[in-house]
Amino acid sequence: MPQEAQISVNERAFIQDALKEQLRLDGRAFDAFRPLELTFGDEYGVADVQLGKTRVIARISVDVTTPLPERKFDGVFQIITEFSPMASPAFEVGRPTNAEVVLSRILEKAIRRSNALDTESLCIIAGLKCFALRADVHVIDHDGGLIDASCIAVMAALQHFRRPDVLVEGEKATVLSIRERDPIPLSILHQPLCVTFSYFEEGELFLVDSNLAEEQVRDGEVIITMNRHGEVCQIAKYGGAPVEPYALFNLTSLALQKVKEMSKFIQERLDEDAKRRNAGGLLAELSAENDRPFDRPVG
Amino acid sequence: MPLDTSTYSLALLRLDGRRWNELRNIHAQISTQAAADGSSYLEMGNTKVLCTVTGPAEGRQSGQRGGKDNEAKVEVEIGFAGFSGLERRKRKNDKRTSEMQHTLETAYSSLLLTHLYPHSTITLNIHILSQDGSLLAACINAATLALIDAGIPMTDYLVACTAASSATSAESDNSDPLLDLNNLEEQELSFLTVGTLGRSDRVSVLIMETRVRMERVEGMLAVGIDGCKRMREILDRVVKEYGQRFS
Amino acid sequence: MPITILPPSAPIATAHLKHEDSDEDMSDDDGLPIQSATSIVTPGETVTSDPQWMRGHGTYVPAETTTIISTVAGHLHKTNKLLSVQPLRARYQPEIGDLVVGRIVSVQTKKWTVDIAAPMLASLPLSAINLPGGILRRRTAVDELNIRTFFSEGDLLVAEVQSLHGDNTASLHTRSLKYGKLRNGLFTSLSGAGGGILSRRGGVVRSKRQTFTLQTSAGEIDVVLGVNGYIFVSAHNKSKQDEKDVSITSLEQGVSETLYSSQNDEIEPGVAREITRVSTLVKGLVACGRRVDEDMIVRVYEGAVDLDAEEKVMGSADRAGGAKGVVEAVLGRLEMGG
Repeated sequence: MPQEAQISVNERAFIQDALKEQLRLDGRAFDAFRPLELTFGDEYGVADVQLGKTRVIARISVDVTTPLPERKFDGVFQIITEFSPMASPAFEVGRPTNAEVVLSRILEKAIRRSNALDTESLCIIAGLKCFALRADVHVIDHDGGLIDASCIAVMAALQHFRRPDVLVEGEKATVLSIRERDPIPLSILHQPLCVTFSYFEEGELFLVDSNLAEEQVRDGEVIITMNRHGEVCQIAKYGGAPVEPYALFNLTSLALQKVKEMSKFIQERLDEDAKRRNAGGLLAELSAENDRPFDRPVG
Repeated sequence: MPLDTSTYSLALLRLDGRRWNELRNIHAQISTQAAADGSSYLEMGNTKVLCTVTGPAEGRQSGQRGGKDNEAKVEVEIGFAGFSGLERRKRKNDKRTSEMQHTLETAYSSLLLTHLYPHSTITLNIHILSQDGSLLAACINAATLALIDAGIPMTDYLVACTAASSATSAESDNSDPLLDLNNLEEQELSFLTVGTLGRSDRVSVLIMETRVRMERVEGMLAVGIDGCKRMREILDRVVKEYGQRFS
Repeated sequence: MPITILPPSAPIATAHLKHEDSDEDMSDDDGLPIQSATSIVTPGETVTSDPQWMRGHGTYVPAETTTIISTVAGHLHKTNKLLSVQPLRARYQPEIGDLVVGRIVSVQTKKWTVDIAAPMLASLPLSAINLPGGILRRRTAVDELNIRTFFSEGDLLVAEVQSLHGDNTASLHTRSLKYGKLRNGLFTSLSGAGGGILSRRGGVVRSKRQTFTLQTSAGEIDVVLGVNGYIFVSAHNKSKQDEKDVSITSLEQGVSETLYSSQNDEIEPGVAREITRVSTLVKGLVACGRRVDEDMIVRVYEGAVDLDAEEKVMGSADRAGGAKGVVEAVLGRLEMGG
């Protein structure tokens, strides 16, 4: 079983002592995220998230398949996580570590089970054809906070993604290419985002967005997924040192504040990207003249 | 299909006739398997779980040392009997199962006094014979009993319970929390599994998988924690009754 | 809304609980820990909050308090000012000087690893055994190559714990004629009943004589009670007994040849039956929660033989309950007889 290199004893003691003095090694406040960077690719549905040194890329792709027999009116949506050895020598292809299982389960619960994506809108012809949406999450660099970063990446990519339009005539469906018809954004019902709290000192100290070293030293973690409307989508505290219940309530309100900030940030970036793609307002013009796109002089 | 809410608001009785704060019938035995170092059998309503503990013993692959920093390593293996659910299903390498295993591993690594058994491995084998909701809670309770039977030191009982919020409509404020859900209720309502440490309120495990308003969490957690206290008394009584055999 | 949890419909032993509570109250008044023969303490239970007591095994003191809390389910023991809780069942924890019965798990270059039912496998170095052909012989490279001729995987042996390492792994030795390979007999494992746990009425405890010879109608049989809960009952080894008093330096060649033999001797059916009887009775004793030692085994064995003879004469029906039933019946008779 591949394992992360253990942190040395004196580093561990140093981090703990510093936390007792109310200090984090990188000088952040206890409730501060690392600088968050979000960029979108040239294609629709590619989001690159950098949270400090952690870097995660999510890519959405779509395909047409038959819906599952027990869910005839729903499209298929899958989230696939991959930890490549590139991110950390502890990751091995084909052998999921506990961290990978946890990440994929959290994303599953946070995004899929909370119905962030309206899968019914992915249905083309009930029982016969539907879109199969696939979100691939690739961890490019690992310095802690993978869950938070991955969740941001997937949600941003979903909001950025445009699926091709379809033309349905009875039993026959034609998928129209991007050239033919302007692609359609997905219908997102709400935006769940994860905030991971690491706690120290038997649940006395809570840190937001810990880096790898802090993750190795921590007594335990609480992962809270919320949307900006104040709904909790998922809470996961897998064992670790026990904490007082009222501390958990405080965490939900803190998480809400962070989620609101992050949602706003993602929205800003999406707007910026839309503006960039829509340089000179061409897009609006394009969609208005969709039927004869070749009339307009190119350039 | 509002299974629960339709009649619940009228009679305040649940599908199986319980009140909101009633636990299901709990039956537990310890030392059920002679070959294991410790074992237990737990029924919470129709959820039935068998748990055995092997160890602390040398790990399966020799040469591979157990836990880090001179501590014992806790390994958890959860198996489902083919007939445990409504549908017979292959559950090999299920992510949900591995998540449950991970939960138990981390919970017990910090609960047990693992430093007393350096380099060794404590293996928990949990076999689920019948599933009817509160599965993770049942696994945790059964594992606690089995570990006590194995004589492995722990700071206190780790007991778990599920709690839900009964109101499905977001507006209604009179949302009664419910305790100890069965399978139908689990599918219908948003619920959480909470595991606390013995008599204290301190929360060791908290898993919530369904969407719920932030304000509801507090009520659910409070009911769950009280349920855990009740559960601890029940399990403690089981251990004490067992202990009388030795006096 | 006040939250109260109703009990489930399970039968509740209220009387027992109340008894428990009153015990605790009493202990708070006198500042003395609970001392009741019938009750046990369970994990998380406060043993005492009086700072005069010291904590022993099976307890812990949370940081910044003086409260002693139990970590296992078992009986409370006081040794002067030391409080310890002995678990009802636990794995054997090796201690120096323990006589243990073990099984070879693997053979390595200069040592064997031995299963002695402890958390970790014990090791038996080649240098810690008696080599055949005289005790003072130097250990040679040839011995290392022939390591499997002494013990190989699956062999049973009786040994003594010589030392303990930092992580509680034991090092064994067999440098005495009492110790060595076991054959001509029957191995019994008493799961969770080893370790010489004092509080337990049942199981093997550390005593003066862990090995003894039992006189039976069919002949003598040897019983080895490993402190770790492994027990070996075998036909009496004549040569071993004869040589016992002789100084080991004058160990004869003949003895050392049979020392590491894995070949069982011919055992008479009568002896074999008595061996089985003893090992079944030992299991029955543990099932009854009784202590397993020389005195008890001798008494129960004799009682069982009498019982058997009587039943044969009377032609009475089979007894239910197996080994446990037999031992209960024998113990009942012994107590009646005084």
